[in-house]
Amino acid sequence: MLISALLIGLIAGFAWLDSRIFGDNMLGRPIVVAPLVGWVLGDFTTGLVVGGTLEIIFIGIVGVGATIPADVITGAVAGTVFAIVLGKGPEVAATLAVPISLFAVQLKNLAKVINSIWINKADKFAEEGNLSGIEWVHRGGYVVLFLAAFIPNFLVAYFGASISKSVINVIPTWLTEGLAAGGGLLTAIGFAMILQMILKKSLVPYFIGGFILSTYFNLTITGVTILGVLLVVIMNQIKNDRGIQHEQSF
Amino acid sequence: MSNPSNESVITRKDLMKVFWRSLRLLGSFNFERMQGLGYAFTMIPIIRKLYKTKEERSLALKRHLEFFNTAPWLSTFIFGITVAMEEENSKNKDFDVKSITAVKVGLMGPVAAIGDSLFWGTIRLIAAGIGASMTIKGNPLGIFLYAFLFNIPHYFCRYFGLFQGYKLGTKLLNKAMESGIMQKVTHGASIIGLMSIGAMTASMVKFSTPLQFGSGKGVVKVQEVLDQIFPAMLPLLFTFLIYFLLKRQVKVIYLIVGTLAFGVVAKTIGLM
Repeated sequence: MLISALLIGLIAGFAWLDSRIFGDNMLGRPIVVAPLVGWVLGDFTTGLVVGGTLEIIFIGIVGVGATIPADVITGAVAGTVFAIVLGKGPEVAATLAVPISLFAVQLKNLAKVINSIWINKADKFAEEGNLSGIEWVHRGGYVVLFLAAFIPNFLVAYFGASISKSVINVIPTWLTEGLAAGGGLLTAIGFAMILQMILKKSLVPYFIGGFILSTYFNLTITGVTILGVLLVVIMNQIKNDRGIQHEQSF
Repeated sequence: MSNPSNESVITRKDLMKVFWRSLRLLGSFNFERMQGLGYAFTMIPIIRKLYKTKEERSLALKRHLEFFNTAPWLSTFIFGITVAMEEENSKNKDFDVKSITAVKVGLMGPVAAIGDSLFWGTIRLIAAGIGASMTIKGNPLGIFLYAFLFNIPHYFCRYFGLFQGYKLGTKLLNKAMESGIMQKVTHGASIIGLMSIGAMTASMVKFSTPLQFGSGKGVVKVQEVLDQIFPAMLPLLFTFLIYFLLKRQVKVIYLIVGTLAFGVVAKTIGLM
């Protein structure tokens, strides 16, 4: 268990560093992390399913700007451990992972506070015109951030199995079923967060349009997206054509 | 395409150093200056090449250690412009160095807005929606599809953003703003993003009710009635409810806890 817990800690550490020092390739997400954790624990398929379920629950929760409301990496690790140990289905496991991700995010915020110590050092090096000094304090930040993801996930993986087993026996069924039902609604928060960012009054018909294409016409997400791309291209052409005619008439 | 004019000191190789370092922009992220230290770190190959005295280097480092925060995937566009400006500054004694900070401060907001809505709100959303619907059925290809759908446009923009930013320096900014290209891209991306979120709201927000009235032949199933009026009405209404609560500045953490509590209550009383 110690070795797999260490491996899971490493996976979580690098998953967070993906967004810090590897270019933010969006690999530190449940859809990638959970299958890896499942693979370490000997159940890749459960990891896949939990990863997809959590990815959808957390679809709107990404580290954009300074603060994130939930730590999706720890959520993915906890969800996968729970699903494999408890065997109560991905929805229940994923929902139990949500409170943990809300708690674990505090540790990441702490890391961002601690990282301010490098700034004072950096200001001194800047005064001296010391280029390599700046480079080294920047790299110091990697260590702090890595540990902030490694430590909680190592603990979740190491103690999660035994604790969750005893906890789940205490939690009544109505509560786990209710939490799973609530978990199916959490996705709405993610969508609402994205809507808040990009929705304007004039764009509401496109949102409703996508909704209706799915409900009435049973199109998949890929299908609706392709239609969206075509629509934008066509509207752009119409606009350009009008522009040309307009110019010619003068 | 990275064919800087003959007089330029900065080569393609130097710009590639900036490209690789830009991946580590958030490596020392902190609440005080956010990406400030990462910005200075990324500019160091340029500073090292352009400035040889301690005083010049010190001033350049201080400029780039200031507060900075933008969308990482498009950050190279700002780096490209600042590299061009630093180069100009090293050659031209009359260059106003304040303009470098001004450009950074002026650009980080709009670039963050475009980057977040394009990469986070649209491309990642679609990639995650398609990928997750595959992995949920146990198909591992979903992981790779997700990663490629996001990262092909990501690296395309990261790479060309840097060279375009450098090539046109500050001129690009005015040009892009005048021609309205930026607004056009954001507008188009928003449309595609909104249509996919619409489809995802319908298929991924799980809200149906087992409520029924009467018994035997006269039974009325509430969900069936709702579906006849407007299919998947409950998920849509619930999403709008959250949207309005967010607009009223309700904190996300309360919404998450509240939603879970609602699930427990609704399940217990038989509403869900």
